[in-house]
Amino acid sequence: MNDDQFRLEVRGWLTTQLASAEFACLVGKGGTGRAHEFVAERMAWERRLGADGWIGLGWPEADGGRGLPWHRQVIFYEEYARANAPGRVGHIGEQLVAPTLLMFGTPEQKARFLPGIAAGTELWCQGYSEPGAGSDLAGLRTRASVRDGEWHIDGQKLWTSLAHVADWCFLLARTSPDAERHRGLSCLLVPVRQPGIEIRPITQITGTAEFNEVFFDDARTAAGNVAGEPGDGWRVALGMLGVERGVSNLGQLIGFQREFESVLAAARGNGSIGDPDIAARITDAWMGLQVMRFTTEDTLGAGDPAPVAGGAVAGGVAANITKLLWTTWHQRLGELAVDVAGPDATLAGPDYGLTDTQRLFLFARAETIFGGSNEIQRNIVAERGLGLPRG
Amino acid sequence: MDSSEQAALREAVRDFCRKHAGPGAWDRLTGELGLTGLAVPECYGGAGAGLAEVAVAVEETGRVLLPAPYLSTALAGAVLSEGGAVPGDGGVAEFLPGIASGALRAAFVLGGSVTASGGLLTGVAHHVLDGAEAGLFVVRAGDMLFAVRASDTVVTPAGTLDQTRSQAAVEFRGAPAFAAGCAAERAEDLLRVMLAVESAGAAAHCLDVTVGYLKTRVQFGRPIGAFQALRHRCADLAVEVASARATAYAAVRAAASPAGTASSAELAVLGPLAKRHCVDVFWHAAAEMIQLHGGIGFTWEHEAHRYLKRAKTSQLLHGTPAELRRLVSQRAGLC
Repeated sequence: MNDDQFRLEVRGWLTTQLASAEFACLVGKGGTGRAHEFVAERMAWERRLGADGWIGLGWPEADGGRGLPWHRQVIFYEEYARANAPGRVGHIGEQLVAPTLLMFGTPEQKARFLPGIAAGTELWCQGYSEPGAGSDLAGLRTRASVRDGEWHIDGQKLWTSLAHVADWCFLLARTSPDAERHRGLSCLLVPVRQPGIEIRPITQITGTAEFNEVFFDDARTAAGNVAGEPGDGWRVALGMLGVERGVSNLGQLIGFQREFESVLAAARGNGSIGDPDIAARITDAWMGLQVMRFTTEDTLGAGDPAPVAGGAVAGGVAANITKLLWTTWHQRLGELAVDVAGPDATLAGPDYGLTDTQRLFLFARAETIFGGSNEIQRNIVAERGLGLPRG
Repeated sequence: MDSSEQAALREAVRDFCRKHAGPGAWDRLTGELGLTGLAVPECYGGAGAGLAEVAVAVEETGRVLLPAPYLSTALAGAVLSEGGAVPGDGGVAEFLPGIASGALRAAFVLGGSVTASGGLLTGVAHHVLDGAEAGLFVVRAGDMLFAVRASDTVVTPAGTLDQTRSQAAVEFRGAPAFAAGCAAERAEDLLRVMLAVESAGAAAHCLDVTVGYLKTRVQFGRPIGAFQALRHRCADLAVEVASARATAYAAVRAAASPAGTASSAELAVLGPLAKRHCVDVFWHAAAEMIQLHGGIGFTWEHEAHRYLKRAKTSQLLHGTPAELRRLVSQRAGLC
């Protein structure tokens, strides 16, 4: 099968599924800023993806994946975005936990956890941030120790997406109480549904809840459920952050294009495009989208982040550069969208019901904060990309 | 991104610029390296490569602001080779050997009030980049493009803010003109693409030099590159420089695509888009270069001012940012 045939296969599958009675309701749902929508249906969608072999495209075949090269995965994400298919609830397992287990996991761990991820039947969340450890992740205080063949965990995690639907949590905890900072941390694999874990949703700027606080009060997991060696958690966690942004970025651009087009249509519809300032901002947004596309293709090209600026910037910071670009662009698009909408954008429906435009405008404020704030991204680009000394 | 031949070319040009970016550079640039003939067919003494190779050389010579009319001459070689120039037909092709050898320097006259009538051009154009030393002008009159010998015109060199690139006013008083096979609009978009590439190279140089300085300049007992206020500004520049280079080469790909292809049609949008983005990035990088160097960056002796002046000159000619935005908007069918 060549690339074009693969693309047609993906497109055909998505078209059929998204026209079915079961999943037609999911078109355009559950994306950025609307992760609360249709959760049960999206969990079923995840199982359908898994059953038909669309999860783990890049994993080795021996580990239950399809061993597809990087550009085939890009095709899948492009078609997924083009079809306006729903926001994933399984992406933490597929795109973060599985690659980490492939890199650091034991054969037993891979055999235990990868099939559930590939089938879309076991969902994951990620426990990194804490109230006292946001950008300074190494300052985290959730503790775990082994007693009677089990890890006992106490502490609190914050901003945990999807914890309320997840079966497992990929948890970074301090396992050597005397070790400083990034030493003495471990990555634990913890079942979420147990008496020692309490989950409380965080109502956010949009009035909806996509993130959670997770409290650990003598929560348990088996002694073997640690990814990498105990005490090696920082290295494992960093490996995971490295894979967090990558192949899905190119698909994301198609979603951005769709959002841009809806802003353009709104500006034409209400005549605001006749305002020279709005017209200029629309053109700038469009040009920014093209620049972002070229830069993403250039820096993430072939999955091999090459030196990106003719000697000025060393390799390995492609994902950080991309994140700075897209979050800033998307935030501006949100601002443009409400300015195009005009006074109507100041109103809210019953129960604080918001329009897509308002949700975009508000939720984009999160994007420059989550996944490593843009200030942290700049530190990484400065240190690893430019070789500037640490502050 | 580069093919292996392009990578070798880049290395050769970069090495040359490091060693010879002074007087006499032109003879070696053309004689030893044959860079002005990169896009000229071999039958005229050129290398028979194309716009993608010219872009590589333009980026590298732009990095050091090589004080020679390289961009104009090499691009003229490419433009006049388009449309099936045939040896001995007496048209624009007769200029190609001179361009390839470096004996003939060229400049583009794309603005102004020049009109064509009966094979003769009349009118005046100002701000002709690289015009003072040109022996040949590639001139827009309406939708058409012509080649005119400088000896058939009146050239008045101008003093320039950017002393690394000349300008001239050129007057045509019934000057004999040779019709070129490339449309005027395409030529102007190609020039914008090359200015974009040059700006991307120059911006990368500004960032390189600035980062190098921040690693060595010590204040308050440590290298000032350790201060977050400065590191973050460099990181933002790194993002911009990466985006400028990616955008410039996307435009180069469109420029180098065979006529009639979808990719080639993108030039009309990507030419102005790339020029606007890359020159704006260059301007920002040059301005930051001065600020982050502090007092030394404000001196005549330091190279920073030359980059600032080149950036502003490139920004104000062949489409200001506002003009290019309107053009992109129009051509992309937005507003």
